[in-house]
Amino acid sequence: MSEIKTIALLGQPNSGKSTLFNNLTGLHQRVGNWPGKTVEQAEGEFVFDGTIYKVIDLPGSYGLSANSEEEVVTRDYIQSGKADLVCILVDASQLERSLYMLADFVGIRLPVMLVLNMMDVAEAAGKKIDVAAIEKRLGVPVLGFSAAETERYPEFFKKMVSAIKTPVCLDSGSLREELVSGGELGEKTDDIISRIEAALGDFEYGVCERIWIAEKLLEKDKLICGIVNESLPFARKNAIDAILDSDEGRDGGILTGEAKYRWVSKIVRESATPKSIEKVFSKWDRIATHHIKGKFFAFGIMVVSLIACMILAFPGMGIGFGMQPVLQSLVERAGNALGVWPVVISFINLVLVGGTCITICMTSFIFAIIFVFRILEEIGYMARFSYAFDNWLSRLGLQGKAIMPLFSGIGCTAGAVCGTRVLDTRGQRLLALVLLWAIPCGSKVAVVLFLASTFFGSAAPLFGIGYVALIFASFYLSSRLFGKKLVPQNERVGMIMELPPYHKPHWKMIAAMVGRSTWGIFKKALKMILMVAALFWALSYAGDGNVENTLLYKIGNAIEPVTMFFGMRWELFVSYLGGMFSKEASLGIMSTLFNHTGEAFSLVTRVAASENLGEALASTISKPEALAFLFASMFNVPCVLAMGTTYREAGSFKWLATIMGYYLALSLGLAFIGYHIGLLIF
Amino acid sequence: MKNAEFVDRLSLAEMGENRCGTVAQIEGDSRFISRIVSIGLTPGSAFTLLKNDGRSPVLVFCRDTVIAVNHKESSQIFVKVES
Ligand SMILES: Nc1nc2c(ncn2[C@@H]2O[C@H](COP(=O)(O)OP(=O)(O)OP(=O)(O)O)[C@@H](O)[C@H]2O)c(=O)[nH]1
Ligand SMILES: [Mg+2]
Repeated sequence: MSEIKTIALLGQPNSGKSTLFNNLTGLHQRVGNWPGKTVEQAEGEFVFDGTIYKVIDLPGSYGLSANSEEEVVTRDYIQSGKADLVCILVDASQLERSLYMLADFVGIRLPVMLVLNMMDVAEAAGKKIDVAAIEKRLGVPVLGFSAAETERYPEFFKKMVSAIKTPVCLDSGSLREELVSGGELGEKTDDIISRIEAALGDFEYGVCERIWIAEKLLEKDKLICGIVNESLPFARKNAIDAILDSDEGRDGGILTGEAKYRWVSKIVRESATPKSIEKVFSKWDRIATHHIKGKFFAFGIMVVSLIACMILAFPGMGIGFGMQPVLQSLVERAGNALGVWPVVISFINLVLVGGTCITICMTSFIFAIIFVFRILEEIGYMARFSYAFDNWLSRLGLQGKAIMPLFSGIGCTAGAVCGTRVLDTRGQRLLALVLLWAIPCGSKVAVVLFLASTFFGSAAPLFGIGYVALIFASFYLSSRLFGKKLVPQNERVGMIMELPPYHKPHWKMIAAMVGRSTWGIFKKALKMILMVAALFWALSYAGDGNVENTLLYKIGNAIEPVTMFFGMRWELFVSYLGGMFSKEASLGIMSTLFNHTGEAFSLVTRVAASENLGEALASTISKPEALAFLFASMFNVPCVLAMGTTYREAGSFKWLATIMGYYLALSLGLAFIGYHIGLLIF
Repeated sequence: MKNAEFVDRLSLAEMGENRCGTVAQIEGDSRFISRIVSIGLTPGSAFTLLKNDGRSPVLVFCRDTVIAVNHKESSQIFVKVES
């Protein structure tokens, strides 16, 4: 058996941990140029020179203080001491700030290696870094690196192997000096650090040295305060409390932070030149962060992106729609010539061909959405976006950072639900969850755009814009309903965030990621659509040609009086219900039920040319009904997966039920309104 | 920096655009302090104020990084402005 070594990737948000992790392990953690993507630790493996390396990708954290949930994950893992090597990543283009993590790590007895990542970005910003000098000063292995450039990995492996062979920990002596001297704060600190150390005596905790514990006590770190409280005898505990309660003790967090940054500055100022300020804040940023222009800019980008999505999706849609009638008539002719049973022909045409074509149409939309938003994310526009909308969001009870999970909801609601952890309070997280359900994921956008273009042809873009307006209106409503309770005025914390520098997009990485996701979604959607289509085909297939004998028809007719109240005939209502399960299911149901419909809802009289779902829909459903169904689909419950993750993140069934109930009411209510307005107009 | 003369002491929220200064004092609960310190603003750190329009979060350039701080909370950060 070969050896197993464990490497933990630690670093501030957006330092490139997941990029490194993905390239090492071949796995696909989410990456993007904005802070706070990874919220759960991920594990992967790779083999190098006969040794198995287990790699842990940790959520980004500014330091080792555990303020928010994902920071607790990171901190717990480090304290568990399971890592053979902790690889600390820092962003070389923002060296001084991102080295704070290293400073906070001093006093943890685990072997480290420092990776100065994004050297390419630093160089482009005119920053020069003397890696050897930093290495000499710190006494641990240091590597200048670019995780996004695969050619550079041999250097990484070389450094890593030697770091594991001769493990070294950071020496806490130099940081201790800074803490004791107190720097700017000078005598005011009254050597508080030594006094706490004395009171702690020989107390140590796992991999944490005494000095580190003293720092965390000063920072009022809840976990460490708790541990010290439990483990120390009464008298010593009291002594510590007295120190922490003194004037100097109350400002402890500032004292330690200041000392750590002083320690960092001494390293950096001797071995790196600063960036030029013009490159930091470009004229683009001046526009993107302007309180009026910035919002127009953001809307402009959204509109351009949506148009780009439509254009990109066009070829795929054409193929999907164009193929269907051709294939279906081919199957029919071949089947008839060979004397195949009609039931087989019906199955092949309605389920297999119909299902595949609709999957192609849907995936082409999804491909376009993933591609366009991927580019925006990689460049670094997301953070500007959250800056521009901070004011609006804080009026809703949130803060700018909430844009990032909301925005990534366009990719996948379930994934974005976990992303709400970047928010600081539970109330804000719950509120963000409520709002997030209104953001359509790629599949939902595809379904809505598909329906809108089927029913309303060239007026479809109007529905796109109307949809966006409705989403904003729903935000307002949601914050009215939930905001006050979830985020009381005094608990509203504002935005504190860094704006990452723009990155040039790495086309190879983007193409690989987009290709992989699209293919994954296509496979999943195809499976789901075929399954659901087959099920509903079986339920609605009438061997004797009389559909009135099928169970589905009977049930459908029974519920129709109720569903028509919302403007949805039973077929549409069943699709709506299927949409709660998944958007694909909703399409699968429509694809069979409506291809059946035709004149007499029977296979015998079916005309081959109107086989295509779009035409079948448009010919059977009136405009008011279409309007009702569109509205219902817009605010339908996202999908089972989203429900599951929401339940997990909200941690209570009650909240899941509340959010579901809210969206059911919202979507059916809108359907009702849409239907009745439609009746008046059309 | 050495010869800079400090003329005023005010909060970040009141500071004018494109001026340089150093952080003098930060007020607030330990959570706020931990957040603001870990992102790089500590007493004594020199910065340039890039943007302050009186309502959007202020933007400062400090320690190689552009940092956005909510306008309300930026009034808890007191600064010395270089003349
Ligand atoms: N130019 C350049 N970009 C990089 C490099 N490494 C990572 N990136 C990009 O930087 C961004 C952040 O990388 P991630 O790997 O997502 O960062 P992370 O540390 O996992 O971030 P969190 O999960 O949010 O903590 C992504 O857009 C990457 O494509 C690099 O060496 N050079
Ligand atoms: Mg990550």
